Amino acid sequence: MERYDVVIVGGGPAGLAAALGARRTGAKTLLVEREARLGGILKQCIHDGFGLLRFGERLSGCEYAHRYIEMLRGCGAQTALLTFVSRIEKSGEGFVLTLVGREGLRKVEARALVLSTGCRERTARQVSIHGTRPAGVLTAGTAQHYINRMGEMPARRCVILGSGDIGLIMARRLTLEGAQVLGVYEAKPTPSGLSRNISQCLEDFGIPLYTSHTVTRVSGKERLERVTVAEVDARMRPIPGTEQELECDSLILSVGLIPENELAEALGVPLDARTKGPLCDQSYMTLVPGVFVCGNALHVNDLVDYVSESGEAAGAAAAHYVPAARGLAEVSADGGFGYVVPQRIDTTKPAGKTTFFFRSLAERGKTRVRMLADGRELCKKTYMQLKPPEMERMVVDLSGAGLHAGSRLTFVMEEADT
Amino acid sequence: MKREFTCIVCPNGCRLHTEVENGAVTSVTGNRCPKGRDFAEKECTAPTRSLCTTVKTLGGGAPVLPVRTAGELPKGRLFEAMAVLNAYTQTVPVYCGDVLIPDLLGTGCAVIATDDWAPEAAERK
Amino acid sequence: MRIPLQKINRALKKRFGGRVQAVVERGVLVLRGSAEDWDGVVAAGRLAASPKSRWYTVNEVTWPGAAQRQPKPVPQTDESLAGRAPDVLLIGAGVTGAAIARELMRWNVDLLWVEKEHDVALHASSRNDGMVHPGVDLHKGTAKYHYNRLGNRMYGGVCAALGVPFRRTGQYLCFKGRAMRPLLYFTLPYWKWLGLSGVRVLGDKALHAAEPGVDEALHCGLFFPQAGIVCPYGLTIAMAENAVQNGAHLSLDTCVTGMDVENGRILAVHTNRGTVRPRIVINAAGVFCEDIAQMAQDHFFSIHPRKGTNAILDKKAKRMVRTIYSGMGTTATKTVHSKGGGIVSTVDGNVLVGPDAVETPEKEDFSTSVQSVRATFEKQRHAAPALRESDIITYFTGVRAATYEEDFIIRPGMFTENIIHAAGIQSPGLTAAPAIAQEVARLAYGQLSATTPPARNAAYDPTRRPIPHVAGLPDEARAALIRQNPDYGEIVCRCEEVSRGEILDALRRPVPCDTVDGVKRRVRPGMGRCQGGFCGPLVTAIIAEEKGISLEQVRKSGAGSAQLLRPTKQREQKTGTEGGTEDGTL
Repeated sequence: MERYDVVIVGGGPAGLAAALGARRTGAKTLLVEREARLGGILKQCIHDGFGLLRFGERLSGCEYAHRYIEMLRGCGAQTALLTFVSRIEKSGEGFVLTLVGREGLRKVEARALVLSTGCRERTARQVSIHGTRPAGVLTAGTAQHYINRMGEMPARRCVILGSGDIGLIMARRLTLEGAQVLGVYEAKPTPSGLSRNISQCLEDFGIPLYTSHTVTRVSGKERLERVTVAEVDARMRPIPGTEQELECDSLILSVGLIPENELAEALGVPLDARTKGPLCDQSYMTLVPGVFVCGNALHVNDLVDYVSESGEAAGAAAAHYVPAARGLAEVSADGGFGYVVPQRIDTTKPAGKTTFFFRSLAERGKTRVRMLADGRELCKKTYMQLKPPEMERMVVDLSGAGLHAGSRLTFVMEEADT
Repeated sequence: MKREFTCIVCPNGCRLHTEVENGAVTSVTGNRCPKGRDFAEKECTAPTRSLCTTVKTLGGGAPVLPVRTAGELPKGRLFEAMAVLNAYTQTVPVYCGDVLIPDLLGTGCAVIATDDWAPEAAERK
Repeated sequence: MRIPLQKINRALKKRFGGRVQAVVERGVLVLRGSAEDWDGVVAAGRLAASPKSRWYTVNEVTWPGAAQRQPKPVPQTDESLAGRAPDVLLIGAGVTGAAIARELMRWNVDLLWVEKEHDVALHASSRNDGMVHPGVDLHKGTAKYHYNRLGNRMYGGVCAALGVPFRRTGQYLCFKGRAMRPLLYFTLPYWKWLGLSGVRVLGDKALHAAEPGVDEALHCGLFFPQAGIVCPYGLTIAMAENAVQNGAHLSLDTCVTGMDVENGRILAVHTNRGTVRPRIVINAAGVFCEDIAQMAQDHFFSIHPRKGTNAILDKKAKRMVRTIYSGMGTTATKTVHSKGGGIVSTVDGNVLVGPDAVETPEKEDFSTSVQSVRATFEKQRHAAPALRESDIITYFTGVRAATYEEDFIIRPGMFTENIIHAAGIQSPGLTAAPAIAQEVARLAYGQLSATTPPARNAAYDPTRRPIPHVAGLPDEARAALIRQNPDYGEIVCRCEEVSRGEILDALRRPVPCDTVDGVKRRVRPGMGRCQGGFCGPLVTAIIAEEKGISLEQVRKSGAGSAQLLRPTKQREQKTGTEGGTEDGTL
């Protein structure tokens, strides 16, 4: 059986970065990818805005992937394409992966694992869309695949449900390719995507955005013919009497991303209900020793640059991994936060500059975020505004905080005076 | 005249407040960096946008090739640009970054490939 | 057999004040008149007929909405079947028709089997909970009871022969109140008399040890070992493939539009593909069995369609159920004609919750509603408190073909000689199918023998090799299969781990399949967590390549369900500025 120091599952931006991070330490590394080409979801992200932080350039998603694939070439990592991880089992202090590909079934051993499995899209039925089951109801990512990888139009006259970034990007893409987008409907009172996307994808093209609205029903026997939209109340439940029917041939859904953690759960990795990804420490190791996670599988990111950052760190940490007891301190956040990552700090590792990512639960104006270690304020940062769609990054120096196993780190949010 | 809009230069998405008099920008606030000020001025006088799309290919391999403008086009000419690009067909191998059209619509803006492409046997997916 | 006509008319007068009346024609009770709405029509039928009736009832009562209902468009027309004179014309390719077709091919008969949809099992047969019923609530003397009992016993053998997974899990009926337990012992002789052996009473501890997901408030239960679970459309497809392998001619997209009947004999049957002259006709047309009977001038029953919705939960919810269970004796379960429903652990490892029952005039209304899913959950939550709507990955609706007598009609025509009905099939139709098929084949043999008895089909093979479920194979077998055919090693659907090889197999079977949903029903891509988000485009491309059609011609399901409308670069682009001013300022 082939033996590796690090096996990385998923060759999208997180996995590519992890492979580089692992190889820089000289670890024997295998990157497994189920598609025929590396790049993950970036292969279909032909729009720009990627790499502003990482490369100081405004690249398209596919260019960003190309940069990493070039960096990977010649760095000595093994790659297995069109290969699917069917099973992972703990074996002694390491792991055995069962890989399936056209050439057959094989098993490989890994001392450490990096799960960079990305996320999937929430489906129509998970948001209670009822009615018939015609063709023409699809998620934004699937529409993106059809248009940008297969060169096919799935829509002529469409309604978009959900103002997540993918929906906004697709509103623009569909319009540029000659489709008519009737409007973007968002159940929440505020948009879910980045402000600049509302601007350059909707406002630029005169596509209306209706907040506090949702789609309740689809009609059409074989192909979608119309959808029913309705206003919703504060609990996002449709208000009777506000229904309107819109004639269209497509309903495109952008109603959220869900981190993919089937393999993690099979290994007994506990998940954080707030991120839907695994609980991890500052080196991106989950609560199962030797299992690391990064990228969208850990929590849904907005910027691929941060995905690469977490990937490189996770890959390097996985390469350095030796089984050892951890002294975990818990990281928590008050009710103003959607979540904070990492959720644990391994106090046996030298304390230093530690990167935290968080999202605010609601839209806020000027806000001060404070971090307390066992009750003592360690650092604070003031934000002019915080919005749930916009993930924030905060670097905290933990040296001198005197953390130990059982310490409690707390993030608090408070309104700042103007 | 006062105008308010979001800067799209970087992920910060600063909300810019501008004042325009006689077609010139007299004040810009809300930007966290100088790029925001430059964006505000351009947006009020001659707005531009980058264009990212695909072009069709011929010869097997991926049926479309992703491309983008190397700079920005006047915002009002995006659909004109799409028409030109939709009529274009890539037939020879290219690498990510290669220039496909040196000057789109006489704007001085080039169009580059954003992925490799070659007319070989159709890929599996 | 005396029909209590006066009693029925009195009841009708009371409810409808003379607007609806009953008469007896040719020994059949016929209702005529007008009701205020569809529920009124059904109420009239229920006043005239019941499971205890010993007569048939036809309900011709009209209602204001009747004229507005759109008939489903008839698919393409041609003359491909014109001039055919088969021994048997079998109408309907649901599980009933498929079982009949398979059974008929034991004989050398020229069987023309028609189905108006583009695939088998598109109506109730792919929209039910897959339960193989023990027959707990069936009554001796009914056709349902008779065929269910026989069919249930046959399931193991039939599924094994066809390579269809079947789990005889047993079923728990759970009751509230510890005082119930001694009473349950008193029911045991009844089950025995009903033909159900091995029924057991369980106390609190034993019940919750067997099914930990059952609510604490349910303290005792009955266990019926005969119950089982199968994939109903998987079985229908398997039976259909086996029938075709043995010589049945299946013609899809073929709709019966009329018949020529003379002196009590069907002489010709008109379809959208031409006119055929069968010796006998078998009616297994589901919700349309009444329409077929009318065309055959053999109208002695009526269908009142009844919708039922089921929800499928993520495989993670598996902790909730191991077999099948439902709660009895709570107010929520006291519904008429609904069979109660329950929590089912499906053969594929999902959890299924449902169904409910709602009367509808629409024969093909498969739409779901948030109310019916919620109602189903409310009802079943009494038995399984852990049920969470957030675990739902999909839901679907089927329509039952219920007669007013609420029983199967398995018999030769009443007025027309050469027709056999397998009509009024609702639950337990799936369980009963193999037994119904044997009886119908016997009747058909009898009718054909009037002129020439069919000879045995010497080449008849009741077995069928299924498409390998590659992800379920042990490693060595899987590795060997991939070595033989690398397509089995290329995973296309990552949620259900389905390979390119299996998808290609689905497109190359004896029953034609060329749609995304057809592939989904056969080998499961699109049935997992992401509901086809990732694999949909890939399956579409595979279908296009295999069938030699363009991507725009690949359909999700029926005619008109193409997913892709045009290539991206074909159209003329919009010029000018949509949504902006001429110079591009905001």
